[in-house]
Amino acid sequence: MDSYAFLLYSQILKIFWRVFLIILAIAFMVFAFPYIKDVLIMFIVAWLLSVLLNPLVNFLEHKGLGRGWAILIVMVLIFIIVGFSFSLLIPRIIRSAGSIISKLQSDVITDFSLMIENFFEKNFNNAELGRNVTAKLNEIGIKLLESLGEFFKSVGSLLASIIIIPFITFFLIKDARRFKRAIISQVPNRYFELSLNILHKVENQVGKYIQGQATDALIIGILSILGLFIINLAFHGPVPYFVLIGMFAGLANLIPYLGPVFGAVPALIIAILNNPPNLGLVLLWIVIVFILVQAIDNAFVSPMVVSKSVNMHPLTVVVVVIIGGNIAGAMGMLFAVPFTGILKVASSQVIWGIKNYELRHPSRVGENLSKKNK
Amino acid sequence: MENPIWGNGLFKKKNKEDDIFTTLKKVPIFSDLTPKELTEVEKIVHRRRYKKNDTIIRAGDPGLGMYIIVKGSVEIVEEDEKAGKRTLAKLSDGSFFGDMALLDEDPRSASAIALVDSDILGFFRPDFLDLIYRKPKLGIKILLALARVIGERLRHTNELLAKIQEKKD
Repeated sequence: MDSYAFLLYSQILKIFWRVFLIILAIAFMVFAFPYIKDVLIMFIVAWLLSVLLNPLVNFLEHKGLGRGWAILIVMVLIFIIVGFSFSLLIPRIIRSAGSIISKLQSDVITDFSLMIENFFEKNFNNAELGRNVTAKLNEIGIKLLESLGEFFKSVGSLLASIIIIPFITFFLIKDARRFKRAIISQVPNRYFELSLNILHKVENQVGKYIQGQATDALIIGILSILGLFIINLAFHGPVPYFVLIGMFAGLANLIPYLGPVFGAVPALIIAILNNPPNLGLVLLWIVIVFILVQAIDNAFVSPMVVSKSVNMHPLTVVVVVIIGGNIAGAMGMLFAVPFTGILKVASSQVIWGIKNYELRHPSRVGENLSKKNK
Repeated sequence: MENPIWGNGLFKKKNKEDDIFTTLKKVPIFSDLTPKELTEVEKIVHRRRYKKNDTIIRAGDPGLGMYIIVKGSVEIVEEDEKAGKRTLAKLSDGSFFGDMALLDEDPRSASAIALVDSDILGFFRPDFLDLIYRKPKLGIKILLALARVIGERLRHTNELLAKIQEKKD
């Protein structure tokens, strides 16, 4: 009885220490989070970049270059492309944002509000309702602009880390295997193969998912820019900031079902604000362009570049986007679905590993043998 | 093996007399490789230490790759609920097992258990496939050597089968 009580006591003590350590780790993470947040974001961005650039580095290595040289060439190329497009785009974006804001503050918005109020007065004989709708629209507009401001602020802090991120990316690509080996070397022998297999599968699937999403966003962005450019040619420039809008449409495409709508809305708003002579026709063509881009995406681009294993139910997408929005605003909405996709891919691989390695049976060959030897 | 997190990633000295290097050189699959090529393989192998009676691989688990014994002794066993444990082989320093798992993910046909405290290297399929893509010449060299080893084993199995057939006749 005494020995039983002692065993029970030691078991309880073991569980207590484990729970205590877990609580301590969680508490540390919660307290340390504000201090390590920036570094964490830099690491996440660098990791995403390393996942995107790794295939290119592997390709150069495949062609006979040393890994160090391959990484250096890819990084220099990326620096040139990013630097060149930033030097071209940033002044335009700033100018575009400035003129969008001044347009919003100009008479056009007042005319638009009056138009809505008149519409409600004529059709429903209720000007108050019209005023409420315009007030609500104004509120949404201000909130949108605020979140845009926050977005640019975070981009600003990213620009400040522009030297650190490539530095981290370089080493994440160069030493990824060594880091992986160091992590896996800490896993007990019993779970070694399982952990290694899951790690490889997660890395492979998540890599494919991120690369697929990035390629899809790039193609959709280019197609949207092209479509809006053609509209501009045909109707004498009713959508002035089409490059910026196209880029946003590409990014918004990260959100399935809702993304295309989010992508088209800025183009429609800009066209309304610009108020060209044949506004109705322009709006119709903008809608057609975005429907066409979506059709091309669904029929050709997505099936080729995006993994089918991450298909999500529309309801899941809506819930995830709302939660993302609540946590991190516009950026949260944008990256909620890809983040859930990564989690889904990773968890499916973990479940595969647990099922196939049958961890439910602890008494396996080795343990049986050790009992026999004793 | 240097710790990559705390170690110097840029200016590290390479010690080619390392026991990993010499062990790899003895394995038939890597015996044709140049020292430079062996260094590439050295970068992707995992070094593990198993205590006496530790299970290295379990029958039925998905195959992931091969193991090379640097130092120690390993027993390959087949376990049947009715017939009990049957030893298929006892391996020592420089021997390797589980090489078929470099080709596919089929479940392991037998288990491997450390008979004494053992120092073992693991060479795994995902790293091997990655190596084939990144360094095709090196990958083909290893693949050819692997095919040769499996071919030899098949020839040996055929001879045994023929002998059994002769005895039956």
